[in-house]
Amino acid sequence: MSLLAVFAAASLTAVFPGIDRAPRFQFGGSDQLAFQIRQGAPADVFASASPKYVQQLHARGLCSKPKVFATNTLVLIVPRANPAHIRSVYDLRRRGIKLVVGAPGVPIGDYTRTLLTRLHLRSALSNVVSDETDVKLVVAKVALGEADAGFVYRTDVKPAGKRVIQFALPVRAQPTVKYELCVPTKRKHPQLAARFVREVLSKRGRAALKAAGFGLP
Amino acid sequence: MAALRLDLSVALRTFRLQLALETERETVAIVGPSGAGKSTVLRAVAGLVKAAGTVEVNGRDWSSLAPERRSVGFVFQDYALFPHLSVRGNVAFGGPPGDVLERLGIEHLAQARPRELSGGERQRVALARALARRPEVLLLDEPLAALDPHTRDTVRVELRATLRELGLPTLVVTHDFVDAAALAERVGVLVDGRMVQMGRADELIASPATPFVARFAGGNVLHGRARRLGTLTSVELSDRTVVTSTDAAQGDVAAIVYPWEVTLARTPPTDSAQNHVRAVVSSVVPVANRVRVTVGTVTAEVTAESARRLQIKEGEVLVATWKATATRLVAL
Amino acid sequence: MRVAFAVIAALALAFLALPVVAIFLRVSPATLVRELGDPVARDALVVSLRTSALAQLLVVVLGTPTAYLLATRRFRGRSMALTLVELPLVLPPAVAGIGLLAAFGRSGLLSTSLAFTQSAVVLAVAFVAAPFYVRTAVAAFEGVDATLVDAARTLGARPWRVFARIALPLAASGLGAGLALSFARGLGEFGATIMFAGSLQRVTQTLPLAIYAEFAQSFDVALAIGALLVAFSFTLLLAVKWLRSDWISPSRFAPSVSS
Repeated sequence: MSLLAVFAAASLTAVFPGIDRAPRFQFGGSDQLAFQIRQGAPADVFASASPKYVQQLHARGLCSKPKVFATNTLVLIVPRANPAHIRSVYDLRRRGIKLVVGAPGVPIGDYTRTLLTRLHLRSALSNVVSDETDVKLVVAKVALGEADAGFVYRTDVKPAGKRVIQFALPVRAQPTVKYELCVPTKRKHPQLAARFVREVLSKRGRAALKAAGFGLP
Repeated sequence: MAALRLDLSVALRTFRLQLALETERETVAIVGPSGAGKSTVLRAVAGLVKAAGTVEVNGRDWSSLAPERRSVGFVFQDYALFPHLSVRGNVAFGGPPGDVLERLGIEHLAQARPRELSGGERQRVALARALARRPEVLLLDEPLAALDPHTRDTVRVELRATLRELGLPTLVVTHDFVDAAALAERVGVLVDGRMVQMGRADELIASPATPFVARFAGGNVLHGRARRLGTLTSVELSDRTVVTSTDAAQGDVAAIVYPWEVTLARTPPTDSAQNHVRAVVSSVVPVANRVRVTVGTVTAEVTAESARRLQIKEGEVLVATWKATATRLVAL
Repeated sequence: MRVAFAVIAALALAFLALPVVAIFLRVSPATLVRELGDPVARDALVVSLRTSALAQLLVVVLGTPTAYLLATRRFRGRSMALTLVELPLVLPPAVAGIGLLAAFGRSGLLSTSLAFTQSAVVLAVAFVAAPFYVRTAVAAFEGVDATLVDAARTLGARPWRVFARIALPLAASGLGAGLALSFARGLGEFGATIMFAGSLQRVTQTLPLAIYAEFAQSFDVALAIGALLVAFSFTLLLAVKWLRSDWISPSRFAPSVSS
């Protein structure tokens, strides 16, 4: 009897297993996960960090109607030693800072660019040294001290612990980060999938999400 | 002051090579069975192998010099011509070739690649290459071994003339006594790392120091027990035949008889001063214009003419005869 | 039994051929060529060619003397050195990437500012590709007839001349085959590069990294880049075969981890 396969955005790595330990989880960039599902990967549940990818799949008839289950906000993180002496997001305009962000097309990458546009800080993008394919890699490079700064979700900071320092970002600039999930039409375990979705949306699930720092719709 | 003075000790796999040798501007052949350490002698002189002892050339001590600093001309067994260079490239590798290509008659091959050359041509290129640097010592390792018998004869004659002309101290290693005798003024026999005899080729034939030397020089070696009988010595061979010798010896001996001193007939000799063996002809082998006939335990070498006259055939019985004076005895 | 083996062989060959053929059949050749004009593809090509050229230069310049030494001298620690040379071969690329970060990253053993630069790509490629060159080069130098070296020495050639005029020319086709192998491996390098150098268009995003960045967004561009890499790999493979037929590799490579 094979396990339920849950494909979920990388930022859900810490919280989803806490809601249900049983399934087999595949975490990664939401765009790559969507691609794999389009190619026929056997996902029973797909949880994306952006409505874009679930909506696309739904529009193609490849999954059920998406449901919002959480929200998030972006933060700026720097390594604990803060080698570039960054005090606020505006310092990112300074030349020579090693900034790591998500790649365009990956939810965190698109959100970051939206945020920077709203802050009139698109020039900071010239400091980008690497476009990562999921948010965990951004966290990792900053936590290792290899990058000077990176944009990640608020929920990614706690798992990184003392290795990073976070800076809150102006609320008015925050993009709307909506996490939506759906059940692919080719799912193998319809009952288990439905149950998992119910768990995420239940009071217990919502409490877990909230404890991890997610917002609730 | 000798042109070349060697006093070497080299540890080899199963024995130690120990050699002391002095030569002037002459050619010395080092002969012996394979594995005796002959090539090692050459390599030690060239510095390619570590040797304890001395290598002194024209008064200078080479012992601590690397090969590239020694003035040697080395002709390797398979010539070791550089395949990616032309003949001219090969010969000029050590320096400007001067007229050595012309002297050895290979200037018309200057642009050719080694793989296009015949065995004899390669030998001459290898020699030219070795001589181009005007070396003080010439080392030749089995210079004729890679040649077919016909080419071998011509090249042997040429090489002999070239060596005489050059007048360099030369060491030639060979497993063939005839080559040694032709090319060198002196021949040294190396067995298990030790020189058992050194002298002119005819001395080695006339008085071989050991049975090995005799066999090597082409002689029949018959084992037996010797007893003095007045001025002669009687030797009882292992097959009970008795032969007589004018040499003096007692006890276990090797009796050496050279093939060309044996005559063949259908009847035994009437003179009792002759030794003879009456046996079945087991092999008849023509060699150049002679024929080697093996009668029992003795091999005789007679002219083709004589062989024809006697109508020698394998399987028939013949008598091989030789004089007591032609029976050399070596104490064992 | 022969029929069964033939069937198995046919299946195996089909398995190997299919992914490659599929790349070219999925979209039309016209599409492939057009997608190669995409800026992502073109930038990746430039990055790949530049970093590969520099990396291979590094590999040849450092690797050739190393291989010569390993082939011609017996010294204490030689087998250890040979094992070390082969190490990147068995190391998973991601581990190589982590190792490079741990060694040369900002918080690494030798703190440098190499991470995320194009030089980091060069280093990562050189690291994973070097064993392919050095291994083949050692075998090539070992295959040079020792008697020829002796002959050269008796003709007065000092060590440098022996290397340059005898060993190098005679080992040349073996060295070329090694370089082609190294180049092929370097072009395809992914794991170590993405870890140590990151992925940024025009700077560090090589052809394989571009495939990875693009496949979810634009599959056709990813396919086109893949097709290009197949073409490169095939050409290099032909080069290796042609060079190797010039030179038969002796089997007396010194004992080491994988042989």
